[in-house]
Amino acid sequence: MKTLDFAKIRSAKGRLRTFALSIAVLGAGTGTLLPSIRVVAAAEAAAPSKIGDLSSYRTIVVDTASMVNNGDLDGAKARIKDLEVSWDDAEPSLKPRSPAEWHAIDKAIDRALSDLRSGKPDATACKESLANLLKVMDGGGRS
Amino acid sequence: MPSPNAARFLNKVPEVTAVFWIIKIMSTTVGETGADYLAVHVGLGAATTGAIMVALLIAMLVVQLRARKYVPWKYWLTVVLVSIVGTQITDALTDGLDVSLYVSTAVFAVALAATFVIWYWSERTLSIHTIVTRPRELFYWAAILFTFALGTAAGDLATEALGLGFRVGVLVFGAAIAVIAAAFYGGADAVLTFWLAYLLTRPLGASLGDLLSQSRPNGGLGLGTIDTSVIFLAVIAALVAFLSVVPNRMGMQPKLTEEL
Repeated sequence: MKTLDFAKIRSAKGRLRTFALSIAVLGAGTGTLLPSIRVVAAAEAAAPSKIGDLSSYRTIVVDTASMVNNGDLDGAKARIKDLEVSWDDAEPSLKPRSPAEWHAIDKAIDRALSDLRSGKPDATACKESLANLLKVMDGGGRS
Repeated sequence: MPSPNAARFLNKVPEVTAVFWIIKIMSTTVGETGADYLAVHVGLGAATTGAIMVALLIAMLVVQLRARKYVPWKYWLTVVLVSIVGTQITDALTDGLDVSLYVSTAVFAVALAATFVIWYWSERTLSIHTIVTRPRELFYWAAILFTFALGTAAGDLATEALGLGFRVGVLVFGAAIAVIAAAFYGGADAVLTFWLAYLLTRPLGASLGDLLSQSRPNGGLGLGTIDTSVIFLAVIAALVAFLSVVPNRMGMQPKLTEEL
C-alpha cells in the first residue's frame, strides 16, 4: 500500500515538473514575442494608458495649469491637493497594472507638488512641471 | 546592565492564538492607512509623519519595556506603532532615497536573519514563551520591526515585479499562510513557522485592507481608507478589551518552560 502511494506521488511530481517546465517554456516564448507586439500597439494607438482611465486625474492637472496661467498660484496649490489625495488613495489599484508607468507619473506629480508648494512658487517652473506631468500622463509614462 | 538571568519577569508577550493573528493582521492595515492618512490627507508630509511615529514608538516601547507583565493594550499599541515605523522605513528608502526594492528586501532579510542569529547565540533559545528578560524582549521587538520592514519590501516587490494586485494578493498570501499553518500542525519547527507566518501577515493585511478600501470599479469593496481603518480599529479595540478582561481563558498564563 505504502509503496503504491509513493509511486503515485512520484509520478504526480513528475507530471507537475513537466507541467511547470512547459509553463516556463511558454512564458519565455511569449516573453520574447510580446515586446514587439507592444511596440507596434503603442505606435498605432494614441498610447492608451496601461493603468486605466486617467481622465479624472488629468482634469485636475488641466485645472491647476489654467489657474497658474491666470496667476492664481494659491488656487493652483489648493487644487493639486485633490490630485495628491485621489492619486494616493488609488495607488493599490493603479500601481500593479503598470508599476513603471505608475512610478513615472508619480515622480512627475511629486515634482509639480514641490514646485507649487515651494516657499515662493515660481510660475514658470510650475507651468513647466505641470506641462511635463500632462505629457507623462498622455504618453503612457514616457515624458 | 544586569546579566540576562538577573531580572526575570513574567512572559511579556501574548500566547499565539487565533485572536493574536486577527489583531496582528488588522494592526498591519491600520498602521499603513493611518500613517498614509496623516501624511497625505492631513498634509503633514512623509518626513513629519515619520518623525512623529518614531517618537511615539520610542515612548510606547519604554512603556512596554517598563511593564512588569504582559498588558494587552501596551503590547498591541507597540505592535501598531512598530507596524507603522517598519512600513515607513521601507517607504523612505524606496521613495526618498531611490533604493531598489530588491536591495531593501535583501538588506532586511539579512538584518532579520542576523537578529535571530545574535538572539540565539546570546540566549540559546528563540522561544517566544520565555520573553522574560530585558535582552530577550529587545531581541523580540527588533525581530518584529524587521519582519514588518521586510514584509513591506517583499510585498511591494511582489506587486512591482509580478504586477500582483490586491485581489490576487489576498489569495496568494492567504494560501502561503495556510501552507505554513499546515506545516506547523504537521510538526514543522514552531519558531520558524511562527516568524514566517508573522512575516506573511504583513502583505496579507495590506492586501486585505486594500480589498475593503479600494473603489468598486477598481475591484475593491469601496469602503474607503477612513471607514476601513475605523472598522479595523474598532475591532482591534474590542478584541484588546476582551483580552484585558478575560486573560486567563485565552491561555495567557505565564509559561516559564523553555520549550517551543
